[in-house]
Amino acid sequence: MATEWKLFADLAERAGEKRVTVEAAAGDTVGDALEELLADRSDLEDRVLDEEGDLRSQINVLRNGTNVLIEEEGLETELEDGDELALFPPVSGG
Amino acid sequence: MTDLRLDATQLDRYSRHVIMDEVGPEGQKRLLEGSVLVVGAGGLGSPAIQYLAAAGVGRIGIVDDDVVERSNLQRQIVHGDGDVGRPKVDSAADYVAALNPDVDVETNELRLTADNVGNLVADYDVVLDASDNFATRYLLNDHCVLTETPLSHGAIYRFEGQVTTFTNERTGEDDPPCYRCIFPEAPEPGTVPDCATTGVLGVLPGTVGCIQATEVVKYLLGKGDPLEGRLLMYDAMDMSFEEVPVRPNPDCPVCGDDPEIESVSDVAYEGTCEISAD
Repeated sequence: MATEWKLFADLAERAGEKRVTVEAAAGDTVGDALEELLADRSDLEDRVLDEEGDLRSQINVLRNGTNVLIEEEGLETELEDGDELALFPPVSGG
Repeated sequence: MTDLRLDATQLDRYSRHVIMDEVGPEGQKRLLEGSVLVVGAGGLGSPAIQYLAAAGVGRIGIVDDDVVERSNLQRQIVHGDGDVGRPKVDSAADYVAALNPDVDVETNELRLTADNVGNLVADYDVVLDASDNFATRYLLNDHCVLTETPLSHGAIYRFEGQVTTFTNERTGEDDPPCYRCIFPEAPEPGTVPDCATTGVLGVLPGTVGCIQATEVVKYLLGKGDPLEGRLLMYDAMDMSFEEVPVRPNPDCPVCGDDPEIESVSDVAYEGTCEISAD
């Protein structure tokens, strides 16, 4: 079962695409899906994870539009069938 | 309010506002007596200043320390070819003066800092963040949270925009989120390339800046539902708008349950804009 990540702004540029499908299914966690994404698109890793391998604070992770870091169980949140994941960073241009 | 009446010229100029129940003469008077501080007279600031001035927002403060460059003109539509080399605040003020004599423009040719933000923001009803860097964005957010000043946020990247409104009305119950609830710290400098490096679609800030101006007009009128608790993500290439719900973050460093930031002097507004470690 595949899960789709939607990427915004410079994250999409680094990944080369706005949408990336990874192998992660119901019962896996958001963190598992993130690991798959970073394995598939290695240019994203430095931008998304800090030196300790933790998610950078300005990177938001959404599951079906809900911020898993604030409203769910963070990267431990379990996936359900048909979930759509998204990663978005702040942008600063004006 | 000194005089509720609009003069004959104003009734004519604002007739398409006044005729609507949602605005009417009283709403137009609110706009004329309203004030907004626009931080940045670039891509976002240009359309925002133009529409706010056209709407008759009576006092518009403009902060910018840059001069107009030819490469700005593809998107910064408040400036013209003859303005290259002039301070952006002067060029923008001339545009407004030519458009609407009802509007007083206050120009501040300087960069916003923790030392001057208090004085600059103090006399305005609402702030519109049209800046182009994280340091200014975090400074404005923190100051507006701490002083409960409404803030319209807009930011762009190549073909994408992010826009939202922070009313900063805090009563202790169901308080709204702020920018740091979404992004507690800025990215490390150098990780996100700027417009000069990546390019930007010229019309993109037009769309985002107009949404910000709309939010400010609604706020001054006291009408409609603000774009609060929702981050609107615009993608010009897909021509799509996506709303991401934004909730208050109890761990937010400035508006959370136990905030570390109690004053803008607690933070060095550079790098990641985190609290100073002293």
